[in-house]
Amino acid sequence: MEAYFTPAEQERLARSSVLVVGCGGLGSPVAYELTAAGVGRIGLCDADRVDLSNLQRQILHDAADVGRLKVESGLSKLSALRPEIHVDLHPVNLTRENALELFSQYDLILDCSDNFATRYLVNDACVLARRPQVHGSIFRFDGQVTTFIPGQGPCYRCIYPSPPPPEAVPSCAEAGVIGVLPGFIGSLMAMEALKVLTGRGAALVGRLLVYNGLDMDVAEVQVRRNPDCPVCGDHPTIHELIDYEQFCRGVGR
Amino acid sequence: MTLTEQEVLRYSRHIILPEIGGRGQVRIKESVVLVAGLGAAGSAAALYLAAAGVGRMTLWDPANVTLPDFTSSIAHIRAHIGRNRAESARTKLLGINPDTAVTVSTDPDALAALVPAHQIVVATAGDWKAIQEAALRSGTAVVFAGVHEAEGAVFSYRPGEPCLGCIDPAVAAQAGLQPEGADGAGRVVSAAGGVIGTAAATEALKLIVGIGSPLTGRVMCYDGWTARFREVRVTRRPDCPVCARD
Repeated sequence: MEAYFTPAEQERLARSSVLVVGCGGLGSPVAYELTAAGVGRIGLCDADRVDLSNLQRQILHDAADVGRLKVESGLSKLSALRPEIHVDLHPVNLTRENALELFSQYDLILDCSDNFATRYLVNDACVLARRPQVHGSIFRFDGQVTTFIPGQGPCYRCIYPSPPPPEAVPSCAEAGVIGVLPGFIGSLMAMEALKVLTGRGAALVGRLLVYNGLDMDVAEVQVRRNPDCPVCGDHPTIHELIDYEQFCRGVGR
Repeated sequence: MTLTEQEVLRYSRHIILPEIGGRGQVRIKESVVLVAGLGAAGSAAALYLAAAGVGRMTLWDPANVTLPDFTSSIAHIRAHIGRNRAESARTKLLGINPDTAVTVSTDPDALAALVPAHQIVVATAGDWKAIQEAALRSGTAVVFAGVHEAEGAVFSYRPGEPCLGCIDPAVAAQAGLQPEGADGAGRVVSAAGGVIGTAAATEALKLIVGIGSPLTGRVMCYDGWTARFREVRVTRRPDCPVCARD
């Protein structure tokens, strides 16, 4: 059998662990593709159950899984693909209380969440726990991907110092999303994770990919660390996790 | 054709997009798509097209599922080892969307003859020249998607636009635009297969609904190790061996 990764890289993948925050549109291809590539342990974090309207894009879940916990549905699919995979189930919402403990158990975090409060929480927890993070987000026909490695480039807050006002952020349900979009962005995220875990290639550190599916256009934007960043800057003011719901409501900014 | 109440719920995230809407979703439901090759890119494309609500799909693949398939393709499960790849993927597709009518073809010589009965072909494997020639005759659109190791390319053909034959073979090879598996299974990084397969599915959906700018007249190339995309422009060749007489 001729595998693409070298034996040393394959061994590195087998010993590595990743946490997938959100088992929906982005989490589906991420979990599948990292399992296929040979990552040793995958943590699935999501408190939600499968809904009929998820099936148009969340390929980790079958029609028969509607009503089931997403992490349990995910476990059965990943085990069927590769029975040797070790899957940890975290059927909880990520919170300021559990994030640091959870992140400390994994080598790399993939932010597959769908809201700003979780994105800032994942970011701050990754900086504080010194964990690399692959970030992806989707909106209608558009998406973004980048990789944050503490000490090597910017963090999410360096690029987006403050969340948009809540009234300016429609949800997937309000704005819609073409079902294949999270497949594309999630696959780019999985590729990023494979590069960080094996040490091969050039990850998107300091580079943000901006994708437009209608035009099938991908642009690259250079992004820099902000020395004044409150969490990863030279003189950080955030030393512990804060109330992100409140932060995203614009309170205390 | 109309949408059932269940379908309106299921596809609500599409229907709410002004570019798709209820009318676009009906077009997706009415569409008939052939996916040639159920390797890394074909698996991802087929799963997402079924999830998106494509009404009828044909999966063509003469090969059986082998161990290397599991390192790169996400439409197969270990229990299906030794089964035909199209058959294996069909089970997976029906799990995601029981409403999609999925037909399987395992005959290595049947591919070109399947083309005319389809609105769109997503070609990831097989004889691409034969697919292009058949599509030219039948007026079928084709999305060519090739992936090798962590690199790949996607190119769309629509009647009247540059065809695969208009691309110099050396340029196509350099762009990575060639069928998967020409060098054996297991030579594709799963995630790169996902990028190329979902880009192909995006193209197919745009062509079905009639929105956006498809990759006609341009090849999109992706290199996973650097995460760089580039585009190669293609124009119709007056002396194209395939479409010049068109």
